[in-house]
Amino acid sequence: MAAQTQILTERIGKIDPSSLEEYVGSGGFEALRRALTLSPVDIIYEVETSHLIGRGGAAFPTAFKWRAVAREEARPKYVVCNADESEPGTFKDRYLMEGDPFRIIEALAIAAYAVGANKGYIYIRGEYPLAYQRLAHAVEESRRAAYLGFNVGGSDFCFDIELYRGAGAYVCGEETALFESIEGKRGQPRLKPPYPVTHGLFNKPTVINNVETLANIPPIILNGGFWYRSLGVHLNPGPKLYAVSGHVRRPGVYEATMDLTLRDLIYELAGGIPGGRKLQAVLVGGAAGAFLGPEQLDVALGFDSLHHIGATLGSGAVMVMDETVDLWQVLRRVTRFFQHESCGKCFPCQLGTQRQAEIVARLAEGEIRPGDKALLIDIGLTMKDASLCGLGQTASNALLSACDRFSLLGEGGGQ
Amino acid sequence: MNQQDGDLVYDYPAVEAVLTRHEGKGRAGLLPCLQDLQQINGWLTPELCQLVGQRLNIPIADIYGVIDYYALLYKEPVGRTIIRVCDDIACYLAGSEEVLAEFKKWLGIGPGETTPDGKYTLEVHPCLGYCDQAPMALVNQEIHGHLTPEAVATLLEAK
Repeated sequence: MAAQTQILTERIGKIDPSSLEEYVGSGGFEALRRALTLSPVDIIYEVETSHLIGRGGAAFPTAFKWRAVAREEARPKYVVCNADESEPGTFKDRYLMEGDPFRIIEALAIAAYAVGANKGYIYIRGEYPLAYQRLAHAVEESRRAAYLGFNVGGSDFCFDIELYRGAGAYVCGEETALFESIEGKRGQPRLKPPYPVTHGLFNKPTVINNVETLANIPPIILNGGFWYRSLGVHLNPGPKLYAVSGHVRRPGVYEATMDLTLRDLIYELAGGIPGGRKLQAVLVGGAAGAFLGPEQLDVALGFDSLHHIGATLGSGAVMVMDETVDLWQVLRRVTRFFQHESCGKCFPCQLGTQRQAEIVARLAEGEIRPGDKALLIDIGLTMKDASLCGLGQTASNALLSACDRFSLLGEGGGQ
Repeated sequence: MNQQDGDLVYDYPAVEAVLTRHEGKGRAGLLPCLQDLQQINGWLTPELCQLVGQRLNIPIADIYGVIDYYALLYKEPVGRTIIRVCDDIACYLAGSEEVLAEFKKWLGIGPGETTPDGKYTLEVHPCLGYCDQAPMALVNQEIHGHLTPEAVATLLEAK
């Protein structure tokens, strides 16, 4: 498999994740040491050259955030690692945190040095007890070895990290909701603008990056932005983690460049569908993503290539469903999920997710009424246009894509 | 948690240690403080919430606003062991409905309920992020993956 790489996952399964010695022995903290000999401007230049795109789901260029915060005059500044991975079907950040926790600390320290922050936070999903333990241990070990604290690595750069545990709210993965949560409030998204780069955590300039995004930083610092940019696809360079689940022989996390096709991911890496059954549908991008059908297996799993066919890579979740699955039962779960996780701050999402879930629950029982499809499209477009944050804006994606792709409501669809 | 004549008896030194650790951090201390107190007592009693309000200087209404918002914080008594069964897409595809049915049968309770002896609370959760180990459940802090109805029986017998 040409596209398969081992950059982000280079240590996973090969070193003891609780051992600082093994991390350092396998090249750990070399990128931080090198970064401390560079100027912040040079580091941001490397990240910009690399064309690293955020891996949390929104696909925002990482260097944009870093440069904007580096330019801010206000003090203090913060760097935050968004480890509140809760998109259904996504478990790649957990895999990184459990398997190579020191890497996140090293990358966050580099980010802090580059933007002029001295304090970092890692906000870890509350349902990830093992990832939390591993990271908590890694932070302590790093402090002991002076990779965190005063004079990091003998330089005059001071940096420390505080860990926060989430408490069971999907929307806290939205950056401003995550800030609210750290600030001890209900984790509801804020109105944007102002954006986190000027008014983030505690209303100070803040860089917030996803776990997987940060995991890309050490190799970029060690090998340079041009090297990174040469990996994989033009404009979508670098390795990506794919979390594969559902009806495959080997569910798990796979790393590849973004020219990997859906067919190769499902049939080569994940071992294909067990029992000789046929593929019915693939949900790419989690509950906020879109359904693809068997005729689309040759699409490359990149941000741009999926965008071109009206889908989204999102967080890299790939859920595979064979021919035996009742898609309505799946859609029922998707819409129930958004109904449950809507924070209620803005009405389009609060009401839209409820009506959508009610209608789908009825359709799942086989009770189709005339006008259902038009109604679902109306609700979906309203949420997309008028919701405050990404939760409401994407809450109808999977449902509407399934109705279209598989003509679930007939060709005209209850019009 | 000890219970005597309806009055709750806490591990007061532990509670005091948690409050001391988080006071002075302002609102940013609230979520970790509530999580740590819940670790000691299982759930957040009105008395504990009152103490948090006094020591962290936060209005009691705000504290309940926060507790209500988060699925992992409890302001009513829950079982000493909380079983969170994932019922989202990947787990559903792998048979979470049979696993959940087995939990219900063994415990004699439905989702959201606590056994009369206060030992177990059963919850059904949206995706818990262990889709590679589907179907799965979190039993307090333990991760139990690749569950079958037989595995559920073994798990509960061992408890």
